[in-house]
Amino acid sequence: MNEKILLIIPAYNEEENILDTYNSIVTYNKENNTLYDVIVINDGSVDNTDKILKENKIPHVSLIGNLGIGGAVQTGYKYAKENDYSIAIQFDGDGQHDVAYVKDIIQPIINNKADMVIGSRFVQGSTSDFKSTKARQMGIRIISFFIKMFTKTKIFDVTSGFRAIDRNLIEKFANDYPLEYPEPISTTEIILQNYKVAEVPVKMRERLGGVSSIRSWKNVYYMINVLLSIIIIKFRRYK
Amino acid sequence: MPINLRIMVFIVALILALTIYKVLKHGLVPVKYSLLWILSIIVMLLIAVFPNFLIFISKAMGFVTLANMIAGVFIVVLFFITISLTIIVSTQKKRITLLVQEVSLLKENIKKE
Repeated sequence: MNEKILLIIPAYNEEENILDTYNSIVTYNKENNTLYDVIVINDGSVDNTDKILKENKIPHVSLIGNLGIGGAVQTGYKYAKENDYSIAIQFDGDGQHDVAYVKDIIQPIINNKADMVIGSRFVQGSTSDFKSTKARQMGIRIISFFIKMFTKTKIFDVTSGFRAIDRNLIEKFANDYPLEYPEPISTTEIILQNYKVAEVPVKMRERLGGVSSIRSWKNVYYMINVLLSIIIIKFRRYK
Repeated sequence: MPINLRIMVFIVALILALTIYKVLKHGLVPVKYSLLWILSIIVMLLIAVFPNFLIFISKAMGFVTLANMIAGVFIVVLFFITISLTIIVSTQKKRITLLVQEVSLLKENIKKE
């Protein structure tokens, strides 16, 4: 197995968590003899994130402005494409994701069973204690139902930010990636273009610090946008 | 349509025309984005000069007064202008995102060398 694996960590004001997250990956690599590379995309943070990245020599790209999660992750995909990675994994910098599950989410790609693999809290076998709030779970269920209705594919954890993609999708996302609400929208788009999406159970922790990018008062707005986008994507024609 | 109202519409149209002329002359806006504005001004001038024709149309379309039709037409025109502006802004946003990404990656590459 000669896969070149990159963990893309988007970071916006993550001074409290980013070093711990990076160290956990380095430690894991040492203990398990893996070679996961890391690139942190600093999305125009206004705290000490940039200083921490430089002082600890963490591999990073500092965006010259704030692009939001979609633009930041896409920068990671561009980096992955330029440096010829065969698998790119989106990984949160806030301590929610556990690097030990990376081997599970890359497995379906290595076995050619999927083009994208989503680390899921809700699929059978997930032992995740942390499953987010009731309201948010409800939202995720509704989006999941919509995606099923329009693509005939059941995805459980539609907003999971723990995802692996293969070389084809790295190339595709480097050129074209949704800037707003990227996770559910990109998933819907690629299913309709006949890419295979798999879900594997992972355990997620509660955020160690900082503020989630989805704030509660924005949830209704988020839902309306995502659901409308899914409908519109269905009406697009793909070559 | 009272003559003083017609004169006022005429004057307002002239002021708008002058404004757009200045904006175009200084190259602040490309001509293609000003076409809708120019069209609106021409319509205003027509209203001031030939009100009877418009009164006929507004009656035929079921408007109670000419003023209602004018307001209605302008709201529709403004809708289209706003939609076209939204498209322009969204296109710009995509380009800016691309620029930020490419410049940031380039900066990183330069640092490495």
